[in-house]
Amino acid sequence: MATYLFRRLLALLPVMLVVVTVVFLLIHLIPGDPVAVILGPEANAQQIEDARRELGLDRPLHEQLLRFYARLLRGDLGRSYFLDRPVTQALWERAEPTLVLMAAALFVAVLIGVPSGIVAGAYQGSWWDRGLMTLALLGVCVPGFWLSLNFIYLFSVRLGWLPVAGYASVFQDPVAAARYMLLPAVSLGFNQSALIARIARSCMIEVLRQDYIRTARAKGLAERSVIFLHAFRNALVPVVTVIGITTAILIGGAVVTEIVFNIPGLGRLIISAILRRDYPVVQGVVLLTAAAYMLINLMVDVVYAHIDPRIRYA
Amino acid sequence: MSHRKTAWAILTLTVLALCLTASVPDAAAQKKGGVLKVGNLGEPPTLDAHWTTATITEVLAQHIYEGLYSLDARSQPIPMLAEGMPAVSKDGLTYTFKLRQGIKFHNGKEMTSADVVASLNRWGAQSTYGKTLYARVAEVRAVDKYTVEMKLKEKTAIVLISLAIPNNAAAIYPKEIVDKFKPAEKATEWVGTGPFKLVEWKPDRHIKMARFDDYQPRKEAASGYGGRKIAYVNELLWIPVPDAATRVAQIETGELDFADDLDLNAYERLKNSPGVQAIVAKPYYWLVAVFNKKEGLMTNQKLRQAWQAALDMEPIMKNVAGGHRELYRMDSSLAFVENAPWHTKLQGLPWNEHDRDKAKRLLREAGYKGEPIRFMTTQEYKWMYDFALLSKQQLEDAGFTIDLQVVDWATLVKRRNNSKEYDVFTTGMGNFYDPTHHIYLGPNWPGWTDDEELNRLLAELAREGDYKKRFMLWEQVTRTFYDRVPVARYGDLFGLRAMRGYVKGFDATLMRPRFHNVWLDK
Repeated sequence: MATYLFRRLLALLPVMLVVVTVVFLLIHLIPGDPVAVILGPEANAQQIEDARRELGLDRPLHEQLLRFYARLLRGDLGRSYFLDRPVTQALWERAEPTLVLMAAALFVAVLIGVPSGIVAGAYQGSWWDRGLMTLALLGVCVPGFWLSLNFIYLFSVRLGWLPVAGYASVFQDPVAAARYMLLPAVSLGFNQSALIARIARSCMIEVLRQDYIRTARAKGLAERSVIFLHAFRNALVPVVTVIGITTAILIGGAVVTEIVFNIPGLGRLIISAILRRDYPVVQGVVLLTAAAYMLINLMVDVVYAHIDPRIRYA
Repeated sequence: MSHRKTAWAILTLTVLALCLTASVPDAAAQKKGGVLKVGNLGEPPTLDAHWTTATITEVLAQHIYEGLYSLDARSQPIPMLAEGMPAVSKDGLTYTFKLRQGIKFHNGKEMTSADVVASLNRWGAQSTYGKTLYARVAEVRAVDKYTVEMKLKEKTAIVLISLAIPNNAAAIYPKEIVDKFKPAEKATEWVGTGPFKLVEWKPDRHIKMARFDDYQPRKEAASGYGGRKIAYVNELLWIPVPDAATRVAQIETGELDFADDLDLNAYERLKNSPGVQAIVAKPYYWLVAVFNKKEGLMTNQKLRQAWQAALDMEPIMKNVAGGHRELYRMDSSLAFVENAPWHTKLQGLPWNEHDRDKAKRLLREAGYKGEPIRFMTTQEYKWMYDFALLSKQQLEDAGFTIDLQVVDWATLVKRRNNSKEYDVFTTGMGNFYDPTHHIYLGPNWPGWTDDEELNRLLAELAREGDYKKRFMLWEQVTRTFYDRVPVARYGDLFGLRAMRGYVKGFDATLMRPRFHNVWLDK
């Protein structure tokens, strides 16, 4: 297992190299100029040229790329043009809100998705099944931002139960953090719970048709034992894959949620960085996101082995 | 008879007393304390006032910094860090500024002429308006600890107004900071003399400013951006809220005390929201289509005139303003009504003619064969996209072929500097406090207006010191503008702000918000 993990981690390096190179080229090749944005609408061409020189943006692209690689080898992601601080510091400051949001949304998604899928699968064709799957269909169809805005209007503006937007650190004020995080977590998690519920239902139905389930029932086991002891664990492997994918999707999905609920996380950072062409920040966030995707996939593979004893890694 | 005189005198005095009582805010009502939470649309690119013309930087920085002069309610220069108006030599080439004494920077140091000289030289090397003034400046030097002298190469009328404008302002920094950050380098230490000092800047979370207890307000009454400034609130907390709908919801629930740059479509909702006061911000921008006059189709003046003749501005403005008549204004003057000294009332200008026949005739005279005109806009500012889209329809009805290119703002501001990449682009023009500051009339700004007659008039305007003569020259500039059509001027669009009812003392007539003299009554 240790060798397997080492090999997988080693394989991250070439992938990361490709990712950073592609992102560097893409962000530099699309039109747009950070300097023109920094200097404001009334700056003239001469001022823009002077500032470009100051930031090293007048150098040939290949030279900028080589400098970027050299910095990367030293663990330096560069300095944000707008935030007046190193990119690593900017990423560090925004990691907590995004991680908390992702964890909370994943919790909501699993809490709603897995039981719904199990119940719908176990009672296929029943009113439970139809009702839950209709909800799941809604969850897939309804855009996250629309749900967010409606939640804000209902629970914050009309009822005044929860704050509209903002963020409090879970380590400093857990109660305030929970109040701020509830609506974003539910609106982000609800979409994903629908996907988990549908997969869990299909897997459950498939497992319940297996011979060993028929055997278990024939032995006279209670239906609850059949479902939870025999069917559930076997239905879980594909569900874990979906939860892994969901976690990765949440990194992207958090962007819109962070904007609407004004959460100062990585999603908001990358949006403002793209809009202002803050190249070092865009590269930093993409690098971090790519690493997170790959690590999540690795974690899913490791979890497989724990759920299903038949899976072994050489 | 004498009784009657006495009665008149008493009556007059009573009326005067009543007027004074009504105009001066009740001193007892003003309260110190509290935190004012202001929601704005995002992060400033910097808080270095010398460095950028970005509006958001202007708004934030003007609470931290001050210049030698500021602007009163009529947009006229009034002293701020200078003791009074400067002494000007007879030949008009030497300005002597006496500084106020005992003014402290936020770091505790006293402001002296060394700080002022260093700051002005940095501003003159980096700021848009500073560069314009410094092209005419021979030297700025410290005469003594509290006196600064500016020697000019040639006589000019723009010294005071340049030092007073709040955008890309001639802010006074401590000399140590000027020495540390050369002009082309953004300052990352922000120390001024203003009523608020910067406490903390946490990007995407907040910018926190606290009352500067050693601030010494001027004696004169508050007027415009200047006069007596008092920080009543303990803290100003600027919270970046990029989503406009969220800002609206937060002002409704009271999570924000003040929200800036709101979507005009929220006007009705805010007006009817209890505890909320909707504020129409006048002026905001006049909408403008800027023509590329360096190369391409729009170098043809007839074509530009045809564009101007074809447009029916009112429906465009109404639509952009969300259908609310109170959120836009139809006006042809190049200076806003609020900028009274330079607002013109010329009749018979070829503005808002919506004369399709004239447009077609001009198109024929221009030799236009239906070549696509690249019209660049952005959806990042909805009003820009809206007026570009509506213009496209009207222009195509008149015979133009419009290739509407929708890009993001960062792309637009880059491409507009390259004459090969577009024919027309959208933007907004804010308030220019002096006729010589109208960037679209000069050759150094995208669109590159380089008209002999306009250049001559503007050069004369920069030299002439007499207001009446300057105003006549400005009227000539306006007439020439409508003949040459360097840009197409649409109507004035207003902005939308909102504040909670307990926010008191806010001057809603200011183009950009200021929170000195504002208190919380709760």
